[in-house]
Amino acid sequence: MNREKIEKTLFILPTCLFLLAISIFPFIYSVYLSAFQAKLTKMHRKFFIGWENYQILLFEDDVFLTAIQNTFTIAFSSITIEIILGFIMAKIFFEIRHLKISNAIRTISILPIMLTPLCVGLVFLYILNPTLGIFSYIVETFFGLEPIAYLGQPIPAKISIICINSWQWTPFMMILLLAGLMTVPSEQYEAAKIDGANWYHVMTKIEIPSILSFMLLGIVLRLIECIRLFDIIYVTTRGGPGIATEVMAYFTYRTEFRSFQIGTGSASAVIILIISIIVTTIAVTLLRRVERNADFS
Amino acid sequence: MRTSARKNIILLAFAIFFMLIFILPNLWMLFGSFKDQNAMFSLPPIWIPDFTYLKNFTIMLSQSYMYLINSLIVTIGSTIVTLIFSLPTAFGLTFFIFRGQNFLADWILSTRMLPPVAAAVPLFILFKYLNLLDSLFALIIVYTAFNIPFAVWVSASFFRRIPMDLIEASRIEGASWFDIFLKIAVPLSKGGIATVAIFVFIFSWNELLIALFFTVSDARTFPIFISAQVSQAQIIWGNVAAATVIQSIPPILLTIFLQKNIVSGLTLGAVKN
Repeated sequence: MNREKIEKTLFILPTCLFLLAISIFPFIYSVYLSAFQAKLTKMHRKFFIGWENYQILLFEDDVFLTAIQNTFTIAFSSITIEIILGFIMAKIFFEIRHLKISNAIRTISILPIMLTPLCVGLVFLYILNPTLGIFSYIVETFFGLEPIAYLGQPIPAKISIICINSWQWTPFMMILLLAGLMTVPSEQYEAAKIDGANWYHVMTKIEIPSILSFMLLGIVLRLIECIRLFDIIYVTTRGGPGIATEVMAYFTYRTEFRSFQIGTGSASAVIILIISIIVTTIAVTLLRRVERNADFS
Repeated sequence: MRTSARKNIILLAFAIFFMLIFILPNLWMLFGSFKDQNAMFSLPPIWIPDFTYLKNFTIMLSQSYMYLINSLIVTIGSTIVTLIFSLPTAFGLTFFIFRGQNFLADWILSTRMLPPVAAAVPLFILFKYLNLLDSLFALIIVYTAFNIPFAVWVSASFFRRIPMDLIEASRIEGASWFDIFLKIAVPLSKGGIATVAIFVFIFSWNELLIALFFTVSDARTFPIFISAQVSQAQIIWGNVAAATVIQSIPPILLTIFLQKNIVSGLTLGAVKN
């Protein structure tokens, strides 16, 4: 090897080795562990049981199946809300982008994205307190509705989790779609105006086609986040009431670290992993495509 | 012109309405941190608290300063280590031409998408074996591993903006790749590197799951401390509110710094401004 080759290798190899050791090895080890019946507290006594963990999880364990179902219900509902609200907000901010004040309003609106998810959960735990929270007070005073235990009943709890999740991430969709709207050539708007197109035509024929790749990117990135949804659940409902808000990541955590069943837990982890890999493959392709489009424009 | 002015005012009103949805919950928590336990849940609510009431903060800080220090060490440590690993790799992926280049880039990116919960137990076993459980060092290593893919991709998107001619000219003059990296690429991408650093900082600062698995007492981070406050039977909400405010300060300040680069960062460099 010549000197240049060694130099080039030094740039790239350390990162690859690091990722292999801390990021790839654990996932492979998870697959290995998932074939055993094992307790975290008694690691030296584990029994090989093959597929059994998967069989139990996928065909017998109602909690796990509910967790998968909840994860996707929460993901699809949140993302739908985020797309619709995010698009409306992006349109509004796009129309007023020339006003000086719009920058400040936009910056304040996007603050939730970067907030610690744990804290977001706590903020809503405080607000949604059934008897003494501000939300109950407002609902009762202004709308005359009886307060309920928003996080303490199955369906309200699920809706609350979806709302909290979308509250944090709608601003992300907003700035992403706003970036998309900025790429629409202004001639297209003018041409539409001359042709007398109404807002609906402008939206469906010009705007949505040109921001479609941004939307897809947003959906995929959010899907990946929703699959690992954990922090908000951990601090607000802990999967409850019952198993109404049980999600995959929380189920895995509970199985591995509350019941110490690392065999079953690893199997659950591997299932999450497989779902993530499928979504990821789509994501990587999309990221490359969006990037290429952006480079050419 | 008058109709367009009116339209602007209506749109502005809507924009402000949305802004309030996203800021009021946080403000309510902030106000709560200046109230005592009774005032936090009094009905009708006390809208404006006494901002000189700082007891929640003093109690909280005296109980938890060591966890805050842990959080800062882990966060700053992993941000620095992440950059040390990622920047050269991003540079290499951008300017070197080699077989499997795209594959390597995709592979690095895809590790970002893997759910941390699936790596937690194996890493737990690994660090237990190395006797590094409940150490800040272990947290720094793991956070770094989870942040490298992000950092590589976003830095690469910034390196790509450097004119190729500049790099080629320096090569012809006989500069080594290392010189080019340190004297041209890094100085020219300062803004981008700052963006990456801020994101990695916030990701590490916000992390909960891995810290739950890995820390018992010595290395507990601030988020772990906060979540422990809520698992008690009697939640002392004044303390929780104060802790939440403290935890939220760095992300909020840094988001304001990020401004224009935030979209680019959140989409792993795919969308440019």
